[in-house]
Amino acid sequence: MRAPIPPIPPRKSQYGIDPSLVKKRVCELPGMTSVLIKELFPDMPDVIYPSDRGIETIRKATEEALKNVDMSMIKPEHSVNILASHHGFTLLGGEPYAEMLKTLRDVIQARTGCKDIRLRAGVGLRFRETEEYIKRYGLDKHFNGKAVGIAPIDEGIPIETEIGTLYGIKKAYDADWIVHAHNSDVREVHFHRQVDRAVKPFGMSYARIETRSTYHQNMGPRAANFVARAIFDSPFVQKKFAFACFLTVAPNGIIGVDADNDLYSLNDRITFIGCRYYGKMMTLLGSIDECIVALDFPCPVVYVFAGGVIYANFAGANTDLYDLDDVPLPSYTWYTEAFYGKKGKPLLSDIPPVNPAIKMCVHNYAWVGYPSVFFSEHIPTIVVGREQADLFNRDPQNLNYMKHALIADDLETAMEFAYKVTGTRKVLIFDGAIGGINVSEPLAEYLLKKAPEVNERVENELLPKWLRQRGVDLRIGEDVRKKYAVRG
Amino acid sequence: MKLVNLVAVVDLEKCIGCKTCERVCPVLAIKVVDGKSQVDTERCRGCAACEQRCPVYAIRMEKRKEPILVGVDVDSVDYGKVIELCGKAKLNPEQVICFCTGTRAEEIAAAILMGAKSPEDVSFMTGARTGCKVECIQPILRLLEAADIKSVPPKGGWQWYGRTVTVWEIPEGVRRKHSSRGFYFDEDEKLLNRVKEAPLQGRR
Ligand code: SF4
Ligand code: SF4
Repeated sequence: MRAPIPPIPPRKSQYGIDPSLVKKRVCELPGMTSVLIKELFPDMPDVIYPSDRGIETIRKATEEALKNVDMSMIKPEHSVNILASHHGFTLLGGEPYAEMLKTLRDVIQARTGCKDIRLRAGVGLRFRETEEYIKRYGLDKHFNGKAVGIAPIDEGIPIETEIGTLYGIKKAYDADWIVHAHNSDVREVHFHRQVDRAVKPFGMSYARIETRSTYHQNMGPRAANFVARAIFDSPFVQKKFAFACFLTVAPNGIIGVDADNDLYSLNDRITFIGCRYYGKMMTLLGSIDECIVALDFPCPVVYVFAGGVIYANFAGANTDLYDLDDVPLPSYTWYTEAFYGKKGKPLLSDIPPVNPAIKMCVHNYAWVGYPSVFFSEHIPTIVVGREQADLFNRDPQNLNYMKHALIADDLETAMEFAYKVTGTRKVLIFDGAIGGINVSEPLAEYLLKKAPEVNERVENELLPKWLRQRGVDLRIGEDVRKKYAVRG
Repeated sequence: MKLVNLVAVVDLEKCIGCKTCERVCPVLAIKVVDGKSQVDTERCRGCAACEQRCPVYAIRMEKRKEPILVGVDVDSVDYGKVIELCGKAKLNPEQVICFCTGTRAEEIAAAILMGAKSPEDVSFMTGARTGCKVECIQPILRLLEAADIKSVPPKGGWQWYGRTVTVWEIPEGVRRKHSSRGFYFDEDEKLLNRVKEAPLQGRR
């Protein structure tokens, strides 16, 4: 069996415990191993990062992708806002996304002569998160002091759309032109269901609370994505939109950079990548019959990664998150969470339970700043270290998380307890390991055995259905094959 | 219901009087007076919005010596009226509105029946929208509207701007134009209607 892959190190942040308090990583425990994504699915695309060419490869790929983009609308006297999101900085340590942003700025200035180029980096529910990344990656310096984090409670601006007034963050739009700088990682597939993934930040990272609340409370789980499209299609945004530039990601790493003046073309390509590659990982992990989950990544509980899949998705992996027809409500979304009544049961009998394969969660390291009580309420959870428990008890979004969780003094004790209580030796570690996943030996064997049949099923049965439900032509795969090092 | 265990504290040396904190506070508990920010500690619901947006990091969140339990007892109002209000807002009384505090629609309806006239009053009375400060503004505005209350946003503030569209209000033309791209308007409308009508678990 392979040695575990080094996990993403703990990161100093106001949203997590001090890295020195993370005494041991889960993959360092006895019996842990790793499986490469390419071992599971040999037809995953080749990655450009990580590679021995280092971060330079991201700069080159960005420059190359931008060659096909029209920037003639940007004049030297204009201002440009490069719009970014926190999520990009959680991918492979954050450096690739930061490098794409820096390159974008340099290329725009070189091509157009424009000097007033700003970075506006949106956040989720941790309002200072991108502020931390801006400092960490020297973006403030690179943008000559014109790099700021923007939050959904900052001053707003009304945007007239075909479904009425919605609200954006004023600072996101205070330039002549906007450049949408994002990534194709699927992350919250339980929310966006891979519908208009490329458009979503217009309804989230760049949007005010009114808009985000519309998405999560007013529309329903499958109509919600239209909120972002309505904003993007509005005359106000269309007048400012110059082009989009995306870091394209597969579960095994960065596969390229895609840039386009037509966001919907780019969207179709990343829908294909999302369904085909992430769909396979999601379906494979959904086939796990029983396991202990270990959280060990510098991100809130829901966002910790394993093989490109986040914990929130695994909590719903007992249903097909990509199936829009048969799965109206995944086991976890905010709509689902809202629809549990006072007796703790779903208000509708057809709401699926949280993935019953998860027998216990060992929370070794994860951040606050996202309401996570649903997870400790529905999955037996043991948190390592009192400091981490205290942090959750101080977080206005997680005042009830520890009410449902146990505390262990150290990781070894927590794992021993989990093994004893659950009776399973299968462990799935969400620690952001790059190029593979860290798991226990019995789970590695299970996944390697299952993967070929999952591959077959996704290719022949599920992928055509998923794309049809999204109105995306299967032939888009040809464009993707041409763009990336894709076999099969 | 929320156990408020934090309170905002301003470092007056650092404060530059920019009023950002005042504009984002969901319960109007912080105000700039004579160029410096002041917290009404009894009012503060410990949400950290001010601490997270102060441009000069002049605010810190401290643990309260004596936490305050805030919430509205739904039994103190006529539950029939709660059901009526939630129904008008197309919400099930038992559905969760604020994920951070676990506040359900019934408690927000009860707060309105007990006199809340704005989202700020609702947050002050129930603690809702003092966690993430983001996700629950719309159902709160829908419930206020259902009670025929015309709230106006705090003057000069950024607390909220207005109620937005719901799935029931999506125009037919929009539904037809976009339904082939994975937007399930009709189906989700039916789903939310079923939730609204679902039997209550907690009472009677
Ligand atoms: S946001 Fe900060 S600097 Fe501005 S008034 Fe409030 S405390 Fe003072
Ligand atoms: S309620 Fe929130 S924004 Fe208002 S003073 Fe307290 S912590 Fe600050």
